[in-house]
Amino acid sequence: MLPNRSRLSVLVFLLPPLLLYGVAVLFPILQSLFLSFFSWNGISDMEFVGFANYVHMLTGDGVFWRSFFNALGYLAICLVLQLGGALFVASLLTSLRRGRELVKTLYLLPAVISTVAIAFLFVRIYSIDPVGLLNQVLGWIGLGALERPWLSDVNTVLAAVSAPEGWRFTGLYMLIIYAALLAVPQELEEAARLDGANRWQLFTKIRFPHIRPVWITTTIMATTYGLRGFDIPYLMTNGGPGQSSELLTTYMYKTAFTSTDFGYASTISVFIVVECLVAVGFILLMLKRKADA
Amino acid sequence: MKKLMRTAAVAAAAALALSACGGGGAGSASNVNPTGDIKPRQISWLLSRPADGAVINIMKKIADEYAQNHPGFSLNLITTPDRPSYIQKYETLAAANKLPELFDTDATPFAQQLAKQGKMVDAEKLLKDLGVYDTYRTNALNYQRFDDGSLYMIPFQFELEYFWYNKALFQQAGVSVPKSLDDIPAMCTALRKAGITPLALDGQDQWPLERYVSYQPFRDAGPDFVQKLKKGDAKFSDATGQKTVNWISQLGGAGCFQDGFSSQGYSDAQNLFTSGKAAMYNIGTWELSSLATDKLNPTVRNDVDYFTLPATPSSATAANEYVATSGIGMAVNSKTFDPLVSDFLKFALAKYPSEYAATGALSPTTNVQTTIPANATPLYKKAIDQAKDLGSKLAMPWDTQLDPTTNSRLQQELVLLAQGNVKPAEFTSTMDSTIAQNAPKFFK
Repeated sequence: MLPNRSRLSVLVFLLPPLLLYGVAVLFPILQSLFLSFFSWNGISDMEFVGFANYVHMLTGDGVFWRSFFNALGYLAICLVLQLGGALFVASLLTSLRRGRELVKTLYLLPAVISTVAIAFLFVRIYSIDPVGLLNQVLGWIGLGALERPWLSDVNTVLAAVSAPEGWRFTGLYMLIIYAALLAVPQELEEAARLDGANRWQLFTKIRFPHIRPVWITTTIMATTYGLRGFDIPYLMTNGGPGQSSELLTTYMYKTAFTSTDFGYASTISVFIVVECLVAVGFILLMLKRKADA
Repeated sequence: MKKLMRTAAVAAAAALALSACGGGGAGSASNVNPTGDIKPRQISWLLSRPADGAVINIMKKIADEYAQNHPGFSLNLITTPDRPSYIQKYETLAAANKLPELFDTDATPFAQQLAKQGKMVDAEKLLKDLGVYDTYRTNALNYQRFDDGSLYMIPFQFELEYFWYNKALFQQAGVSVPKSLDDIPAMCTALRKAGITPLALDGQDQWPLERYVSYQPFRDAGPDFVQKLKKGDAKFSDATGQKTVNWISQLGGAGCFQDGFSSQGYSDAQNLFTSGKAAMYNIGTWELSSLATDKLNPTVRNDVDYFTLPATPSSATAANEYVATSGIGMAVNSKTFDPLVSDFLKFALAKYPSEYAATGALSPTTNVQTTIPANATPLYKKAIDQAKDLGSKLAMPWDTQLDPTTNSRLQQELVLLAQGNVKPAEFTSTMDSTIAQNAPKFFK
């Protein structure tokens, strides 16, 4: 129990950020919810349409569902690259004796490059005419048959726009997980080794359970960022070709600012909020169950 | 209450991306002669033109001259050259009723709604009142008009769009200038066989491919087709519609566009042509300085020529009728229109044409002669002189005609059609249903 004075000071310090959060996050969400019941193009009269936007979104809009499944695919690729890659690299780092700082810095570097630069960089990497790095490398190693315009091929474009986002933040999550791995008590690992545990057992029985709280946080962070992914796909392909790399976020943005259908765009944004909440709840539930098991 | 709801709604829209705020009403659209004293202040022009381009440079100069006699006056030019970003900015500001004194817009359905609400000054009346209406090219003004013939935007440029081609590459592949649009797929096959990219296309910006879908209907049925199509009165499933759908599919099938065109940008397409890799490039006279001066790569400089949109004797439109645009127009906000704005426009519009023509560009008016630059090739003058022999029907770019949702969908589906990812029948049904769903919201 805090003494009165310090409770007051805690309140004083907590209130401004809470107010800011309310104004910057909660208020717009509530307003989007309000607007989602209207049909409004910004300059016309607002027309109350009840749940019509929701009905259309869930039952009559093929592009919406396409974007939703694309967003899930995008999320899956980002998570595998970011969390899987981060865990892998962080584990390797702990066994590295020299040059750790250099490797860490190199991996972290993409996180500080501007999004626009990354998007332009990867457009060049994937290009076929003039031939880009990826197609060139494929040619060199004898996989010339795989050369293609990665961003124009409807079968590869989603993976192609997801990879830069995944690559970009791998280093950041690696750093977090690496810090957690360093905190695993050495004596525990040593004891396990003496008991005859191999590297895999050491990882699954000792290290991973120990870093689980950090893992949960990074999973939630990566998932919510992944679900809100927007800039790289928007800059690289603008959702194209067709709707092959359209995500819910890019679709929502275009609906609002290209189609000027602010009511319907708000409906999609409400869906994105709900989707994020469901995803976080799902992760917490899954990891809690695993921890209890 | 309504105002409150409107304000709340705009704030929500702002939360989705940028920023906006609500409130305000509109002035009178038809009052082109506001009375009162000229009180110098800063006025703003929200525009979508190249930051170091002729229009901006000239208007800055003119504004400086005007400010010398009107201390306190300044012209704040806020440019967003990237068109999609600009449209988003302008539409958000329009929704918030926060448009500045002057703003750029095409004659889109959205702009027409703004005009109907009295938020823009009647440009025809204004130009007549300023005594400059008759100096404008009829085609330049017609390009800015809405379907009902009303005029709310003032043009600042005049551009003709040609198919630029490389004579040496044509000769190498044994092809000649097409006599009709239907000849192009076969030409592409021949060019591809010779290892040449037939057409350089900026697929990233989407509008260049959308031009192609407008060509067959313009030749087959004239400019009315798109007017009907956008309202759902004509369909892609009609004979004319099918002709263009199948043609785009054939262009794609014959490999007319460079591989991976959908992710290649404006400069990629231009480089492909100017480096002698692509045989044809469909672009307007705004690129004359890159295509018809000594800036052009010397290895292709003497091989470059152009042809206009192919026409046959049975075409509904004449050979001298093709895409001629006067670019994005400038609208005058009726809410902020006062003696100062009126006086400045009078000053600027009188001085602008001669300054603009001196840069080597085609003026939207007929009272000045374009100066051919010293470093121009003979093609420059030929391209400029072509404006003297121009028919009266214009091929309107479809991106300025269709409602925004249909337009976005069309741009997306066209890529798929040209890449062979969707069949013509699927494209037709998708687009006809998209128009049926969205057109009524804009063309009630």
